[in-house]
Amino acid sequence: MSDRASAVGHAIAEELARCEVKLVASLPDNWLTGVIGAIDRDPRFVHVRVNREEAAVGLCSGAYMGALGSAALMGASGFMTVVYAITKINYTYEIPLFMLLTLRGAIGDHHKHHISNGLYLRPVLDAINMPYEIMGSPADIASISRCYHYTRTYARPMAVLLTRDLLLGKTT
Amino acid sequence: MNYLDCFRAIARRRTDQVVVTSAGNSSQAWWAVTHDSEASFYLDASMSLSTMFASGLALAQPALNIWAFMGDGAFCMNPGMLMVERQMNLRNLVHFLVSNRVYGATSNAELPNFADNDYAAMAHTMGLDRVFDFRNIEELERDFDRVALANAPGHTFVVLEVEPFSQDEQKLEQPPFDGPELKFRFGREVERRTGCSGFGYRL
Repeated sequence: MSDRASAVGHAIAEELARCEVKLVASLPDNWLTGVIGAIDRDPRFVHVRVNREEAAVGLCSGAYMGALGSAALMGASGFMTVVYAITKINYTYEIPLFMLLTLRGAIGDHHKHHISNGLYLRPVLDAINMPYEIMGSPADIASISRCYHYTRTYARPMAVLLTRDLLLGKTT
Repeated sequence: MNYLDCFRAIARRRTDQVVVTSAGNSSQAWWAVTHDSEASFYLDASMSLSTMFASGLALAQPALNIWAFMGDGAFCMNPGMLMVERQMNLRNLVHFLVSNRVYGATSNAELPNFADNDYAAMAHTMGLDRVFDFRNIEELERDFDRVALANAPGHTFVVLEVEPFSQDEQKLEQPPFDGPELKFRFGREVERRTGCSGFGYRL
């Protein structure tokens, strides 16, 4: 991992800490290695590696009911498996949920098996009326806390979509 | 054992626990025997996540004791949850697996491999130490205090082997709450018990 990718991971962790996120539930994506590593090493967070993405939804939703700030971190493919959990828990009970996802399948992703995410991730988010913000440069990271706090106002889930170039340190 | 008798026995032993139930029969049964509208969160909407939801709450509020119920239909969808529960090892959480070998809310349709699923053994293989397996009311009444032992080290997993709901029991009322009402009722109760501020403002 490059120094710039590592710096992006630390910057995202710092921004999460700034909005008082304590619990981070994650599943890996190669692009997220720097972020997950930074969170895992940071004693301000309780980092829980979960067995599937739905578990992250459940954990973070329960944490909200106990007034603990949280974030769910996962790849785009993982997100595509959690529509049931999100619509059932976070929309039915109006429980906020903050998610950080990879924007897989977009320009720059050379993996053909992620083309489906390029085709369907954003349409699926739109279909369930789930707001999202795309973050493609280090300057965007400062907006994470605004998005996080919006979930608390909106009382529903929101996603930040992190681009390859940002996460791999390919942009300034 | 009879599903409702089992829940009545557990409800009688309840002291300060807040409760999370799962989709289907466990919510109906807990509502039928307690009519608890404040300290129980009926997580009807979503299978297999009641104990993850409860784990998040238990992590957030270590002074709260939490009971989470889940049917074995939900458990079959996501048995890997036990890996996460073992990893978190929260001493203030008890996971009650209500095993009736059917999808109770779906006309008692049979589960895959229903005759041979050994949930206690599965829990042991995932490293859980505090595992209990109750197959009748007498065992439950006799040994329940060991389940509820305050400050017992680590996460507790309890299998309750019950009969499926009868046709009449299937008609039991569902907990009659809209989602946001339940969120606020339960959340305010958590605030009252812990002093936390869950919603950003206090009434």
